[in-house]
Amino acid sequence: MAQDQNFDFNVPPQFEKISKNIRVIVGGLIVALLGFSTFFTVDPEEVGVVVRLGKFVETVEPGLNFKMPLIDQVELVPVERQLKQEFGYRTVQAGVQTQYQKAGYEDESLMLTGDLNLADVEWVVQYRINDPYSYLFKVRNAESTLSDISEAAMRQIVGDRTVNEVLTVGRAEVSIRVQELIQALVMEYEMGITIEQVVLQDINPPNPVKPSFNAVNEAQQQRETLINQARADYNRVIPRARGEAQETIQRAEGYASERVNTSEGEVSRFNDLYTEYVKAPQVTKQRIFLETMEDIIPKMGKKIIMDENGNNVLPLLQMQLNGVQNSSQQNNNGGN
Amino acid sequence: MQQAKGIIAGVIGLVIVLTALDGFYIVHETEQVIITQFGDPVGEAITDPGLKFKIPFMQEANFFEKRYLEWDGDRNQIPTRDKKFIFVDSYARWQITDPLQFYQRLGNERGAQSRLDDILDGETRNAIASHDLLEIVRTSNREPDTTGAVILEVIEDSLQTINTGRETIQEEIQTKANERATDLGIVILDFRIKRVNYVEDVRQTVYDRMISERNRIADEFRSEGQGEASRINGEKERDLKRIQSEAFREAEIIRGEADARAAAIYNSAYNRTNQSRELYSFMRSMEAYTKTMDKETNIILSTDSDFFRYLNSID
Repeated sequence: MAQDQNFDFNVPPQFEKISKNIRVIVGGLIVALLGFSTFFTVDPEEVGVVVRLGKFVETVEPGLNFKMPLIDQVELVPVERQLKQEFGYRTVQAGVQTQYQKAGYEDESLMLTGDLNLADVEWVVQYRINDPYSYLFKVRNAESTLSDISEAAMRQIVGDRTVNEVLTVGRAEVSIRVQELIQALVMEYEMGITIEQVVLQDINPPNPVKPSFNAVNEAQQQRETLINQARADYNRVIPRARGEAQETIQRAEGYASERVNTSEGEVSRFNDLYTEYVKAPQVTKQRIFLETMEDIIPKMGKKIIMDENGNNVLPLLQMQLNGVQNSSQQNNNGGN
Repeated sequence: MQQAKGIIAGVIGLVIVLTALDGFYIVHETEQVIITQFGDPVGEAITDPGLKFKIPFMQEANFFEKRYLEWDGDRNQIPTRDKKFIFVDSYARWQITDPLQFYQRLGNERGAQSRLDDILDGETRNAIASHDLLEIVRTSNREPDTTGAVILEVIEDSLQTINTGRETIQEEIQTKANERATDLGIVILDFRIKRVNYVEDVRQTVYDRMISERNRIADEFRSEGQGEASRINGEKERDLKRIQSEAFREAEIIRGEADARAAAIYNSAYNRTNQSRELYSFMRSMEAYTKTMDKETNIILSTDSDFFRYLNSID
């Protein structure tokens, strides 16, 4: 009251009316402020946790909600949103072409495998807050706790597997086991979180070793290529050889039937002739002989018929024959 | 005068309000409180949240966390029992279970963290130094499952057997640390090794080992490919020769059989009687004459021959 009076003295006359109503104005402002602080909105993906004088009262659903002014506090927890933590890399800019940052997170991703080799594992833990009460009041820094848990879990699982398992066939199994382990620990710590999925991103050998791992893949390809080439060669040669073999055999079969048929034909002809021949051998022979001579003698060159007493002319004839041959040779030479 | 009275009344009022306000305190869901009177703890710890009252000014409320708290170990470089130099990064969850004891022994959280550093780092060091690296990395003696991995055609995957394992070592550390922390009003709920890795200079030798192993595998793949290709090549040569020779053999057999059959057929006709032999010999000769005589052939025929004998006489 004393202050109000002091205050009045300093006020210029033109503000006197306002200053007389100052209590009403201030009171009105306070009421308005209190009024505004009694309601609050909860987004569709959230719930509101209402704490009255430090004590948890209730969780409220999305929409417009009311609370007691001054003594109630509200914490909004996004229970419907899928949250994620990345290990071994960070998404710099999400979008159609998401950009990743990998440098600087090697310590997070480099781990020992069960056969004391090293592997570079990058993964994402996707989770949701399913119990806002535990999430807020049971564990301090639930996020950093989750990140500790998943690093420990991933290393425990990878530590029980060989580097080959981790890099190749074991991927799916690793992510399932890690998810189970993280979920179990999260339950144990009462963090109010549920793990939806553990996704393994790149699993690589460490950078200095990568070229030699690639060399293995290359060698594997080379092996396939060599084998395929050899197979192709085989396939090029062998079917053709089979065909050629068939040809050889069929030619032989052709020869065989020709040979047999010929013989049968000739024999048949011979037999027919023979049947007649035995009836009159001398005449038949005579006839055939003469027919043959008739046939062949006109086709021959020089023919000289001699009496058996004229043997002495033979040398003469020999010379003549030679002369004929020589002259014909000379003619041939001259012609050439 | 009236003004002075007013001022005095106002001051007194303010003092009363402030006094009353100092008496009230709020315990949050995440907190627990120890009331001290001139520094001495009074009564039990207050753990249920809400608005509380204490004697103003005389008593003081000391707030402590009720939640699970984190402890993150330093990156420690420790040699294992088998003299492998590694660094170990661990974490633990702990909770203030007896705030009174906690207040008396450790004072505040910073004190607790530094005590936890001493205890957990020490126990970790002991545990790591008394186990082989393999025992720290591995948890169980599971069999590696690499069905379907091509690489397995070349190398055999195996995991050595372990006796203790990571989980047991962690529990061991946790148990020992809790023993040392019994009178501190805290309990370590969980201790875990987060990261284990070789120190920088050891890493290079591990890389070298991995590289040489991979090179071995690559060589094996390559030589396997060459071997397999040679095998197929050999198979090709073998099959080729077999096919060709088999065909030749069969063809010769067929030809031979046909020749034999033809011979048999000829013989059956020609070799029947003396007459048939004579006829054959005659016919064959005629045929041969027909085939062998041509223009180049000069012939001197005697009138004595069968053909011309009638030139001499008709008898």
